[in-house]
Amino acid sequence: MKTSFAALERQRLARCRLLAELLYRRLPRAGGWSHCGIQLGTEPTSLALLALRSSRSPPVSIEELAPLFACQRPNGLWSAVRDRDTEANFWASAIALNTLMILGVASEMFVGALDRLLHCKPLESSWLVRLKFRIADRQVRLDPTKFGWPWISNTMSWVEPTSMVLIALERAKNLTVIHDDQLWYRLNLGTDMLLDRACPDGGWNAGNGIVYGAPLRPHLDATALALAALRFHYHLPTVNSSLTWMLSQIDCPSAYSLAWLILSATAYKDCRSDVLPVLHTARERLAALVEEPEQIQDTSTIALAALALDPETADNPLEVRSCAH
Amino acid sequence: MRALMNRRIFGGSLLAGTGVLAVRRLCSTGRLRDRRKSQSRVAILNANSYDGPLDRLLLDGLRLFDLDLRGKRVLLKPNLVEYIAGADVNTDPRLVGAAATTLLSMGAKSVLVGEGPGHQRDTFLVLAESGLEKELQSRRVRFIDLNRDEIRQVALKRSFTGLDKLWLPRTVLTSDVVVSMPKVKTHHWAGVTLSMKNLFGVVPGVAYGWPKNLLHCKGIERSILDINAAIPAHFVIADGIIGMEGNGPLHGSPRNLGRIVLADDPVAADFVCTRLMGLDPLRVNYLAQAAEFLGNGTPDRIGQLAEPMLVPQEPFAVLPEFAHLRI
Repeated sequence: MKTSFAALERQRLARCRLLAELLYRRLPRAGGWSHCGIQLGTEPTSLALLALRSSRSPPVSIEELAPLFACQRPNGLWSAVRDRDTEANFWASAIALNTLMILGVASEMFVGALDRLLHCKPLESSWLVRLKFRIADRQVRLDPTKFGWPWISNTMSWVEPTSMVLIALERAKNLTVIHDDQLWYRLNLGTDMLLDRACPDGGWNAGNGIVYGAPLRPHLDATALALAALRFHYHLPTVNSSLTWMLSQIDCPSAYSLAWLILSATAYKDCRSDVLPVLHTARERLAALVEEPEQIQDTSTIALAALALDPETADNPLEVRSCAH
Repeated sequence: MRALMNRRIFGGSLLAGTGVLAVRRLCSTGRLRDRRKSQSRVAILNANSYDGPLDRLLLDGLRLFDLDLRGKRVLLKPNLVEYIAGADVNTDPRLVGAAATTLLSMGAKSVLVGEGPGHQRDTFLVLAESGLEKELQSRRVRFIDLNRDEIRQVALKRSFTGLDKLWLPRTVLTSDVVVSMPKVKTHHWAGVTLSMKNLFGVVPGVAYGWPKNLLHCKGIERSILDINAAIPAHFVIADGIIGMEGNGPLHGSPRNLGRIVLADDPVAADFVCTRLMGLDPLRVNYLAQAAEFLGNGTPDRIGQLAEPMLVPQEPFAVLPEFAHLRI
C-alpha cells in the first residue's frame, strides 16, 4: 500500500503548521519550551529540538541546547522543569540524553548523567520492599526481583521511565560512550521488568497488569514506549502480541498517543509486513487530528506529532537503529 | 468467618482510633491548625438520571448555600481516571457540564475544568473517550491538564507523610474557588474515594510521575490528609447518581444511588456520602482523622439541607479488607 501524493502533501502541510507552532511557542527568554505556559520543561524542549532539527541541517549549536542544559541538576541528571528545587526525574533525564545523543553532542557533556542513570535503583531493589511484596502487598501482580527505573527517587520502577532509559542506554551502547560492567545487567533486568509488567492480553499500562484479580487494560503510549525499548526482542510472543494490539489502535482519537504509536511502529517496519500500511493510515489520521496546532495544549504533543509526520526522520527518539544483539 | 470479621472491625477501629488520638494531640499542642468551621452545610439532591434537568437541579441546590461567586475564578476538579467502555468510572460529563454552566450563571468570572489522571498519561485521550471533551466543547468550557500545568512548590507546615513540600499546579493555586467533583465509589486501597481522595488528581504527574507513586509509598491516607491540608476544596459537588461498589475505583459494579451531594466542607461531604453508601465514615481512617482538624464529621456540626439522609438497607459492597466499614 502506497500513500497517495495528496495524502503526503496533507501530512507535509500538517507538519509545517506544527513546526511553525513550535517556533511560535519558543519561550522568549529561556529559549526552550514548556508543556503549557512559561515554565521551561525538559521533555517539551527535547522533543521540540528534535522536531525542529529534522527540518534543518546539523549540527545543532551549543547555544540552541542551552535551555536543555538549564534543566540539568548539579548531579548531572535532569529535572522535569527548570526550578532549582525540583528533583531529578529519570524519565526527563533519559529523554534529554536521547536527544543529546541523537543531536551528536560530545559525550563528555553527558556521560556522567548516563553513569548515574545506570546506577539508579528503584525501591524494589531493597530486600525489605521485596519482602513486603511477597508477604503483605500481594494484590498487585508483579515480580519485585525484576526492576527497571522509577520516575523519581525512592519510588518503584514503572513502564514509561524504564522504557525511555533502556532506549537511552541502548543508544549509548551503540555509540560506545558507556563502558560499564553494569550495562548488560541493567539492560537485561529492565527488559525482564517490562516483560513481567505486561498486561495479560498484551500491551502495557503504567505497570500494573493485574490488580485485585482484575486485568487492567493497556495504554497506547505506554505500549508504544515499551515496544520501542523491546525492539531487539521482537521474536518474543509478548512483544509480538503487544505489537498486534498496538497496530489495531489506529483509530485512537488522541494525537499524543497516535504519535507515540507511529514513532514506535516505525522501529518495527522491517520486522513485520503489516506495519507499513498501518503507518500510512496512522499518519493520515494524525495529520487530520493536528489540523489546528494552536488548539493543542501540550507542546510535547505538537513536537511528537511533527516527528511522527516526518516519514524520513532520522531523529526518531524511539528508534535505535543498529542492532547489537 | 465471624471471628475474622470481628478481628477486622476491631483492627480497623483501633487503627482509626490511634490516628484520631494522634491528630487530637497535634491539635491540642498547636502543631496542627484546627480549620473546622463552626457549622458546615450539606445538601442531598435526588436525581435518578443524568438525562434530567441537571442545570436546574444544581442551580436550586447551590442557591441553598448563598455562594458569592461574583468575579471569582472557579476550577472544577472532576474524577477522570480512565475510560472503560460500559463502566461508570468517571464523574459523569453531563454533571460536570451542568455544574460549569450553573456556576457561570451564578456570576463566576470564569469556570475551568482541570484534572491530572493518575495512571493514564494521555489526559486528552481520557477526555475524548469519556465524552467530557464533547460536553465541555458544547458548553464552551475550557479544560486544563493538571499533570502538565506549570508547577509551584507549596511548603507543608505539618505533614503526615513526612514530606516538607508538595508540587502543585499553578492553575489550582491561583483559582479563587476549587470545586471537588468526585464520583461516589469504593476504593481498593483507601476504602472510599470521595471529594478528599479526588484531590490526588491535582498532584502533577510531571513532578511525581504516573502513577503518583511517591504518595502511595508515603501512604495513601496520609497523602490525602496532606493534600487536603495544602489545598482544601472550597466546595463539593459529588456524583452519586450512579456510584460504584466492590472493587473500585475501576473494576467495581455500578450502584444506583440517585443522589447528588453538595457541600461547603469536603470532610462533611465525605461523611455524608459514606453514610449514604451504608458505610461508617469513622471507620475510614483518613476521614476520622480529617474530622479532627480539616472539617466537620459530627452530625451536630453539619447542617443538613434539601433531602433527608437515608442509609441504604443494603450497604455498598466492599472488598473483604474493608468489610469492617459496613454499618
